Amino acid sequence: MTAPDGDASPSAPAIEGRGLVKTFGPIRAVDGVDIALRPGRIYGLLGPNGSGKTTLIRLLVGLARPSAGEARLLGHRVPSREMLARVGYMTQADGIYPELSVWENVRFFAGLYGSFDRTRLVETLRVVDLADRLGTPALQLSGGMRRRLSLACALVHRPPILVLDEPTVGIDPALRVQFWRHFRALAAAGATLLVTSHVMDEADRCDELLFILAGRIFARGTSAELRQRAGSENLEEAFLRFSGDGGDVAQPIVSRGGAA
Amino acid sequence: MSRRRVLAVVRRIVAQFRRDRRTLALIFVVPIVISALLGWVLRDQQTAAVRLGIVNQAGPAGQRIADALLAPGAADQAGSAGAVALPSSTIPESTARSELANDQLDVVLVIPADVAGGLASGHGVRLIVITQGANAPVEGGQVAQVQQFLARAVSSIVPGSPGLPTIEHETVFGSPSSDTFDALSPFFIGFFVYFLVFILTGISFLRERMGGTLERLLATPVTKGEIVLGYTLGFGIFATLQVIVLMAVMLIRIDVPALGPFGAFTLGLAVPSVGSPLLAFLIAMLLAIGAVSLGIFISTFARTEFQILQFIPIVIVPQGLLSGIFWRIDTLPALLQPLARVLPLTYAADGLREVMIQGRDLSAAGVQLDLGVLVGIAALFVVLAAATIRREVA
Ligand SMILES: Nc1ncnc2c1ncn2[C@@H]1O[C@H](COP(=O)(O)OP(=O)(O)O)[C@@H](O)[C@H]1O
Ligand SMILES: [Mg+2]
Repeated sequence: MTAPDGDASPSAPAIEGRGLVKTFGPIRAVDGVDIALRPGRIYGLLGPNGSGKTTLIRLLVGLARPSAGEARLLGHRVPSREMLARVGYMTQADGIYPELSVWENVRFFAGLYGSFDRTRLVETLRVVDLADRLGTPALQLSGGMRRRLSLACALVHRPPILVLDEPTVGIDPALRVQFWRHFRALAAAGATLLVTSHVMDEADRCDELLFILAGRIFARGTSAELRQRAGSENLEEAFLRFSGDGGDVAQPIVSRGGAA
Repeated sequence: MSRRRVLAVVRRIVAQFRRDRRTLALIFVVPIVISALLGWVLRDQQTAAVRLGIVNQAGPAGQRIADALLAPGAADQAGSAGAVALPSSTIPESTARSELANDQLDVVLVIPADVAGGLASGHGVRLIVITQGANAPVEGGQVAQVQQFLARAVSSIVPGSPGLPTIEHETVFGSPSSDTFDALSPFFIGFFVYFLVFILTGISFLRERMGGTLERLLATPVTKGEIVLGYTLGFGIFATLQVIVLMAVMLIRIDVPALGPFGAFTLGLAVPSVGSPLLAFLIAMLLAIGAVSLGIFISTFARTEFQILQFIPIVIVPQGLLSGIFWRIDTLPALLQPLARVLPLTYAADGLREVMIQGRDLSAAGVQLDLGVLVGIAALFVVLAAATIRREVA
C-alpha cells in the first residue's frame, strides 16, 4: 500500500472518496466526487441511467482505479484485498451461477470469503426468503428470487460495509418492504449501506440521499431536506430542479443530522 | 494462495458441469462415437484387392523368390485371399513405374539386386515397394496389405524362416508417408482434449465475464492466480476423465457381432501402442492445462458464445493442420514452419506419437523437448490468462 493507512476510529467515515474522477476516453463517468459516509446509516445514491452510479461505487469499493483522487474504506486506502473481505457488493447484474442451486451459489461465495458456516448461511437465506429453495437451480427462480439470491451472496460473510447496486429492481412491493426492513436492521447493527437506485420512491427509506448526474453529486441531504429546499412535495421534481439549475454543486450541503 | 478458495472454484465448476448433461455427453460420448466411426471406416472398410506388380533385379535368386510368390495358391496360402491380386510374371522396372503412374497397378514390389547376399548372410530380406505417392493414407493401407501377404508368404517360401522381410517404401510421386491410422491416433487424443477443453473453458469464462459473476468474484478476496488455478484443476478433472476414455477407445478393440440387419463391426481402434500410457497421459494433460488458459484468454475477445465458436477456425483448425501429423513440418512452406513450431498441438502430437507408437520414454531427447515446450507454453498461457482478468489488486 502506498499511502499511510488511517485509523479506523469509530467516528471515521466507513466509506470515503476525495476528488474522485474516472474517465473513459472523453467520457467523465465520475467527475470530482467528495463523500464521507458514516457507519450505521443507509445512503441512497440516486440518479438516472448512465449518471455514473455504478462507476462511482466501483471506485469506492476498489474494483476500479480512479483517474484522480482516492477512496478509503474504514480508513484504508483502496484498492486493497483486505478491504474486499469486508465489503458485500451486490452487482447490478445478478452475478449468480444459473446452473447452480441456491445453496451451491451461497456456499461458493462463502468459500471465497473463507467463512463457511452452515447455520449462518441458512439464516442468510431465510432473510431473503429462500431457505425453502435450497436445491432449486437458480435458472428456475423468478427474476425477483434471483435478485434475492444475489443479495444473499453479498451477505454471506456479514460485511460491515454493504454496497448494493440497484438491489430492488424487479422485486415486488411486498418483498421490497422486507428488503428495506433487513437493510435497516443491518444499519442498526452498525453496518454502512450504500444503495443505488434510479427510482425515487425508495429514497424515503434512506437516511441520506446523494443526487448524481453526469458523474457529479449535485445535492445531498435527507429526503425531507431536499424536498424542502427544492420547494417541492415530490423528490423527482426536486431532482429535476437541482439538476436543471446546476443544483447545489457550488455549495454542497452535507447533512450531519441523524434524522431518518 | 488459499486452498479453500481454489477448492471453492473447483467444486463450483464440477457442480456446474454435473448439471449440464449435454456437455457431459460432449466430453465422453462424442469421442467414443467418433472413434468407433473412424475404426469402422478405416479398419473394416471394403478393401479392394491390391494390384501388385513384381520387379526382379536379383537375377536367378530373385526369380526364385518371385516364382514362389507367383505360384498358384501363394496368396491363399498366405491366408489373405483377395487382398492381393498377383500378376502372372515379373516385369521390368520401367514398365512397372509407368503402369503405377497410369493407375494400372497399385503397388510394385522390387526384389533388389542384393537380396541374395542378405539371404546368405542371414541379415534378412530387404524388399522395396513403390506406390504412386498421390494418396498417402490409401497407399499406406495398400502397402500394409502387401506387407501382410509377404510376411506370411515369405516365411513359407524361405526355409529356416529368415524373419520378416524389411520393407522400404518408395513412391513415384511425392514422398512416402508412414502415416497409417495408427500414426493418427495419438494426434486424435491430443486434438480432442485440446478442442473440447478450449471450447468449454472459453464459454464458461465468457459467461463469467458477461453474466456479472466475474465482477462479483473480483469483489471477493480471491486472487487471479486462485481463479486460474481453480479453473485449471476443475477442467483438469474433466480432461483427465476424457483422456482416459479416449485412450481406452484408442487402445482396446471390441468386436461387436452381427445382429439382425446390422453387420458385425468393431468398437475401439486397437492401436498397437507400445509406450507408457502414463507418460502419454501426462503429455495430454499438459496440453489440456494450456487449453484452459487459452480459453480464458480468448474469452476476452468474444461477446457471445457464438463468437467463441468463431475462434475454432482461427486457433484450433490451423493447429491441427500444422501439427506435423498430416504433413511433416519440414515439408511445410518455409513461412509456415516457424508457426508450426510454436503451436502446442505440434509438440503434444509429436510426444504422443513418440511415446505410443515408437515406445520412447522420458530418457528420449525428443520426449523431453516435447514435455519442456508444453510446460513452457502452458505457463505462458497461464500468465496471459491472468493478465486478461482485469483487476486493480492481483
Ligand atoms: N468500462 C467502461 N468503458 C467506457 N465507458 C463506460 C464504462 N463504464 C461506464 N462507462 C460510461 O460511464 C457512464 C456512467 O456509467 P455507469 O456508471 O454505469 O452509470 P449508471 O450506473 O448510473 O447507470 C456512462 O456514460 C457509461 O457509458
Ligand atoms: Mg449502473
